[in-house]
Amino acid sequence: MAWRNLGRNRLRTALAALGIVIGVVAICSLGMATVALEQQATSQLGDLTNEVTVSAGADSDTDGVTQEQVEEIRSIVTDAQVVPQKTNATTLEARNGAEARVSVTGVTEASALYDLTEGEAPDRLQSGALISADTADRLGLEMGDPIEYDGQLYRVQGFIQSEQSFGFGGGDLVIPVSGLSEQTYYDTVTIIASDGEAATAIGERLDTRFNTEDDERLSVTTFGNQAQVGGFLDTLSLALMGIGGISLVVASVAILNVMLMSTVERRGEIGVLRAVGIRRGEVLRMILTEAALLGAIGGLIGTIVSFTVGMILFHLITGDATGAFGWASLRYLVYGFGFAVVASVLSGIYPAWKAANDSPVEALRG
Amino acid sequence: MSVVELHDVVKRYESGAEIIDALKGVDFSADRGEMVTVTGPSGSGKSTMLNMIGLLDTPTAGVVCLDGRHVTDFSEDERTEERRSELGFVFQDFHLLPMLTAVENVELPSMWDTSVDRRDRAIDLLRRVGLGDRLTHTPDELSGGQKQRVAIARSLINEPDILLADEPTGNLDQDTGATILDEMSRLKDEENIAIIAITHDEQLVEYADRVVRLVDGVIRT
Ligand SMILES: Nc1ncnc2c1ncn2[C@@H]1O[C@H](COP(=O)(O)OP(=O)(O)OP(=O)(O)O)[C@@H](O)[C@H]1O
Ligand SMILES: [Mg+2]
Repeated sequence: MAWRNLGRNRLRTALAALGIVIGVVAICSLGMATVALEQQATSQLGDLTNEVTVSAGADSDTDGVTQEQVEEIRSIVTDAQVVPQKTNATTLEARNGAEARVSVTGVTEASALYDLTEGEAPDRLQSGALISADTADRLGLEMGDPIEYDGQLYRVQGFIQSEQSFGFGGGDLVIPVSGLSEQTYYDTVTIIASDGEAATAIGERLDTRFNTEDDERLSVTTFGNQAQVGGFLDTLSLALMGIGGISLVVASVAILNVMLMSTVERRGEIGVLRAVGIRRGEVLRMILTEAALLGAIGGLIGTIVSFTVGMILFHLITGDATGAFGWASLRYLVYGFGFAVVASVLSGIYPAWKAANDSPVEALRG
Repeated sequence: MSVVELHDVVKRYESGAEIIDALKGVDFSADRGEMVTVTGPSGSGKSTMLNMIGLLDTPTAGVVCLDGRHVTDFSEDERTEERRSELGFVFQDFHLLPMLTAVENVELPSMWDTSVDRRDRAIDLLRRVGLGDRLTHTPDELSGGQKQRVAIARSLINEPDILLADEPTGNLDQDTGATILDEMSRLKDEENIAIIAITHDEQLVEYADRVVRLVDGVIRT
C-alpha cells in the first residue's frame, strides 16, 4: 500500500529521494574525505609520530645530553630503541670542485634512523659513512669512495633516501659517533617506540623522571606537541561534519515538504479511509511507512553513490581507492543510511499525525 | 427495533460571528430491509444529517442510537470501530483509491485487519454487482457506473447494518443512476440492511420504501 502510494507520483517521489540522496552523499563523502585526509596525514607523518626526541633542557648545566643521562634513559626505556646522536655541520668538497653543505650526524645505531637506497645501514656504524643520495650525486660520490671529515677518512657505505615529504633541505652525512669525539655531549637522543601512543607514554615517563615544574634538565619532544596536526585534523573533520549536518537539515526539510504535500494532496483519500473505518493509528502507520520507504530508497541510492565518491576521494587524496573499504570510512555509509531512514520517519511524523487526525467530514468536503 | 434513531438532533455551525443551524431538532428512524430516500433543497441539512447517522460528526444536541445503543458520546476511536463494523458509505464522487484494483478497493475497509481475509467476499460482492470480469481493473479503467458499483461493494464488505449514500447517482446519467438504485435495493433485501440515500432526483424516489423531505433543517412529511 505504502509502496503503491509512492509509485503514484513518481516525479515527486524521485525528487524527494534525490533530496535524501544528496544529503546522504554529502554526509558520507565528507566523512570519508576526513578519513582519507587522516590516513594520508598519518602515513606522511608516520615516521615522526612514533619518535621521542630528547635534547638538553633549558635549565641543563651542560649544552647536551650527558652519557650518564643516556644510560639513565636506557634504563627507563626498555621497550624502545634509544639512539643518541651528535650533530655538526660541514662543507664537503669534491675532487671536481663541487661543494655541498651537509649536516653531520654521529650515530652508532644507523639502521634505526635511515632508509637507504643503496647499500645497507649497519646496526652498529663503526667505520664507514652514509650520505644523502642527492648530495652524493652532486659530489659524484660512489659506493666505497672516501669522505674526509675532521681529518678522518670514511668510506661510503650507503646512500640515504632523500626525504620527499618534509624536505629538510641540505644533505646528511652520517658517520660513527667516534668521529665527533671532540663533542662531549650528545645533541639529541631519539627514542623509537612501536607507535605514537607508546611514544607519548615514554615521553611522559622521561619528563617526570628528569624534569620538575621549574627545572627542565631535558627537553622531551613527542609528536603530540611537535605539531598540532592531530588537532588540526579534528577541527577539519568537525568543520566537514558541520557542512554535512547542514545538508542533513536541508534534506530533512525536503522530506518534510514532500510528505506534507503528498498528505495534503491525498486529504480526500485519507478522509475516505477514515470514513470506512480505518483507525487513526493505521493511517499514521501507512504514512510513516511511506516516509521510511522513501528514506530507505534514497538512502540506498545515496550509499551507493557515496561509496563511489568515497573511492574517488581516497584515490585522489591517498592514491589508494581501496582505502574506502576500511571500517573507518564504511561506517559513514552506515551513518548516512541510518540518517536517511531516521530523518524521513521523523519528517513524516507531523504530516502523518495531521492527516490521521483530520476530520473525515472536512477532508471529504475537499 | 429501528437500526438507527435520531432524537431531536441539532447541529449548529459557528464560524466567526455567523451561526448556522444546519439541523433544528430532527427525529428520524430507519429499519432493516428499508430504503429511505432523503430529499430537499440544497443547504437544507441532508448531508449534515447523514454525517450524524454515519458517526462522521457529532451533534450539538440530541441523541443518536445505532441498534438501540447510545453512540452520541462515543470517542473518535469508538466511532471509527462503529463505522468499520456497522456502517457502509457510498459517496457522490465514488472516492475509490486510484492505485488499487477493484477487488483491493472493495477490501480496503478490512485491509488492515490481519485477522480476517475478505478476498472471497470482495470477489463475491463484485460478481453480485455485475463486475465479475473487472476484478483487477483500476478505477481509471472503469466507467462512472462501474466505479459506483465498486463503491457499493466496498460499503458492504464488513457486513454493515446500515448503508449511507450521499447522492450516489449525482455523477451518473439517469439510466445508470436507475440501475445503481436498483442494485442497491436488491442488495438491501439480500443483506437485510437499512439504506439511507440522499437524492435530488425526484424520479429516483420511486425505488424508495419511504421518502423523507428535509427543509431548512426540519423534517417535513
Ligand atoms: N462545516 C461547516 N461549517 C459551517 N457551515 C456548514 C458546515 N457544513 C455545512 N454547513 C452549513 O449547513 C447547512 C447544511 O449543509 P448540508 O451540506 O447538510 O446541506 P445539503 O442539504 O447536503 O445540501 P446539498 O444538497 O447542496 O448537498 C448549509 O447551510 C451549510 O452551509
Ligand atoms: Mg449534501
